[in-house]
Amino acid sequence: MFIRINAIALNTFREAIRHRILYLLLVFAVAMISFAQILSLLTVGSEEKIIKDFGLASIDVFGVLTAVFIGIGLVSREIERRTVYTLLAKPIHRFEFVLGKYTGLALTLLVNTCVMTAWFFLILLIKGMFDLRLVVAVLLLFFQFLLITALAVLFSCLSTPILASVMTLALYVIGHLLWSLDLLAKRLPTETGKVLCRVLYYLLPNLGNFDIKGEIVHGLAIAPGRILWATVYLLVYGCAILWTACAVFERKELQ
Amino acid sequence: MAVLDLLDIHKSYRSHLSIRKYWILRGLSLSIREGEIFGYIGTNGAGKTTTIKLALGLIFPDQGSVRLFGEDSSKVELRRRVGFLPENPYLYDYLTGEEFLDFHARLFGLDRATRRKRVKDLLERVGLGNRGDRQLRHYSKGMLQRIGLAQALINDPELVVLDEPMSGLDPIGRREVRDIILDLKARGRTVFFSTHILSDTETICDRVGLLVKGALKAVGTIDELVSRDVPYWEVALQGVVNGNLPCGRIVSRREDRVLVRVDSQGDLHRLLSVLNGHGARLVSVTPARQSLEDLFIREARAASPRPARIDEGHVHQN
Amino acid sequence: MAASFVLRRRRQIMALGVIACLLGAIFVQGRIEGLKRGAAAHPLLYLPSGKYLKVMSLGFDGLLADLLYLWSIQYYGNYDIKDRYTYLERIYDQVITELDPHYLDPYLVGALIMTAEARNPEMALRLLDKAVRANPDQWLPAFEAGFLCYNDLHDYTRAASYFEMALRVPGVHPLVRRFYAEMYNRAGDKRTSLKEWLEIYQTSDDPYAHGIAWNHVHDLKVDVDLADLTGAVGRFRDREKRAPRRLQELLTSGLLPALPRDPEDRDYLYDSQTGVVRYGGGLVLGR
Repeated sequence: MFIRINAIALNTFREAIRHRILYLLLVFAVAMISFAQILSLLTVGSEEKIIKDFGLASIDVFGVLTAVFIGIGLVSREIERRTVYTLLAKPIHRFEFVLGKYTGLALTLLVNTCVMTAWFFLILLIKGMFDLRLVVAVLLLFFQFLLITALAVLFSCLSTPILASVMTLALYVIGHLLWSLDLLAKRLPTETGKVLCRVLYYLLPNLGNFDIKGEIVHGLAIAPGRILWATVYLLVYGCAILWTACAVFERKELQ
Repeated sequence: MAVLDLLDIHKSYRSHLSIRKYWILRGLSLSIREGEIFGYIGTNGAGKTTTIKLALGLIFPDQGSVRLFGEDSSKVELRRRVGFLPENPYLYDYLTGEEFLDFHARLFGLDRATRRKRVKDLLERVGLGNRGDRQLRHYSKGMLQRIGLAQALINDPELVVLDEPMSGLDPIGRREVRDIILDLKARGRTVFFSTHILSDTETICDRVGLLVKGALKAVGTIDELVSRDVPYWEVALQGVVNGNLPCGRIVSRREDRVLVRVDSQGDLHRLLSVLNGHGARLVSVTPARQSLEDLFIREARAASPRPARIDEGHVHQN
Repeated sequence: MAASFVLRRRRQIMALGVIACLLGAIFVQGRIEGLKRGAAAHPLLYLPSGKYLKVMSLGFDGLLADLLYLWSIQYYGNYDIKDRYTYLERIYDQVITELDPHYLDPYLVGALIMTAEARNPEMALRLLDKAVRANPDQWLPAFEAGFLCYNDLHDYTRAASYFEMALRVPGVHPLVRRFYAEMYNRAGDKRTSLKEWLEIYQTSDDPYAHGIAWNHVHDLKVDVDLADLTGAVGRFRDREKRAPRRLQELLTSGLLPALPRDPEDRDYLYDSQTGVVRYGGGLVLGR
């Protein structure tokens, strides 16, 4: 089982790193991180904050874009271009295909995040602004990418590439605005509305759990267990998504 | 023993947003025997690819059962013994030929040494010995077909399923694929392939199945299917002076050559016996055997007035 | 069939697994929420400044201001957040109004929250000053600032200066004028107040405003007249060592140029025994 998942993962990784879009996104990310330096010239005082904010935001956005576009591109394309036929005619369980793809994408994102982070830290080191706690912020960002990749894989199994991209990006946005649903639940006059809001609040992926950029940049204390619970959240929620993806793909008709 | 057994398969598909069901296969039963080359022929859209996908568990039947090597085909382990080349294979174009084959070999858990050896052998066997280091995106259509075939053979399968292996190949390529298929048979493997190139089928297949609009119209050896009777003979004669022949009908005449058609064996004998008297010389006698093509066209025509599509209400009556 | 049974069984296990995972996620979410409440982590810290957001918003700065404004109302309506006022000035002064300086509501509502909820009227006045600077064609911000000085700070002079600022804007509501006139009264300058109210009374076409103005003029006039007369009586007493027998004596002794008459055009009442001047009618507003 692991041999096959491994083989598919490595092949996916190889496809990703031979993909032009990955480099395009990386170049953009590196450019944005560097751009913060120029932007910081415009402000008075909080130069360090802006460089850090901008760097983390760039890693966040471009990581998510990579997760969505590479993730969906690589899974849907396999189905759309029917390369999956040759694979599934081999002694491969369908869940092995899904997990292999996911692992390959995760590997791609790991490399991608490492490159962006390395550049970001290099700038900070030169400026003497490096703070070891930033590693934690980036780690949680990476967790977020992993969750989004799982979503991308699920939607690729369910739908066409374009629809899948839209849905994944939408969930990314929604996942960061879930607190408003929480507020809404408190404001709504009707019980059914409250319950509906609650259900959605807990069911949708809460990406805010992975966001400690603010605390890190401002040097605030992070509650003990915060990172541990975020990790556990990634594990259980990620499992739920991937499990669903496997179940969906298990019975998918490959037309 | 049957290597692949399809029993009373029904398969419909529903397009997006439509409640209409389109029937692709209706009660298909088919059995592939061990060690044979089975040619699966039919018009475009007859359901050949659907049958193959069902056989490999890429799609699932509405009704009926698929058995591979006598076991339920949903068992993934059974596919260790199967090789498959899809129709118009879209392959990973970012890989080189070697990487591509190596990747598929890995899926079978083969070790490095075996992989290397097998990849090299197969590249030679499909005639891509010196192209293995090129990315598939630079391959021609024929080369892709060959590397696809190599991929199907990577696990030295007992059953090889090929969907349109000849399409997109030039005559030399077709002959090479034909030779590979014959070679597989010689090694005791079973080959199940679909095609619409009938001439190849007639020369290499042990048995043929003719699929028309989702139903199997005929199965059997070529002889069983098409040579049951010889309806007429064509006799070519030279030097016929006058046109009075005891029997037969002159089909064409060019200078002193005529082509005569006789409809029974008795007539043929009578004609041949009087030739000398007419001062004519016999050039050739050809029994007009019915070809696979004739059968194919006849069956396809017979089926065409039937609507291919039925609605929901109809389905329940089935 | 055995195969389909296995399949169904597998599917059931999968469904159970997914549900278990989701329940786990809900549990974890609860734990994280608990942490957030306990920790000092503040969600607003990450709100970048408006100048910065304006660049980032790619031209949607107005929309972003709307959204942030809507959000801020929700946020400040949530009484569970104990430290919600910490970033009040940042949100309104440095973010929302920075993104859209011509959007009046955030200034007004922000100022309201700053005064009524956060009890920091000076912060509110800073925000309103900014509104006045950014919107010289609007009288409302200056009026609100004036009202705040009047109602919350009870600093009537400062209020008058804000109302005066509002009055300079064309198209200002007549109400502002009345507030302005009244501020002098509150500050104790009844004479100026009377002058302003009288002007309103004389220039107003609106019968309602006319009526109000009359009431103020009436009472102020009584107050001013009584103050004049009492002052003159006092000065007379200083000079003659006795109270005047009649008010006319104030005229003849040159202490008053003329004797004022009450709003009903009667003489003010005078008691020569005590030297007290009184008004014979009742005050309208009764202040």
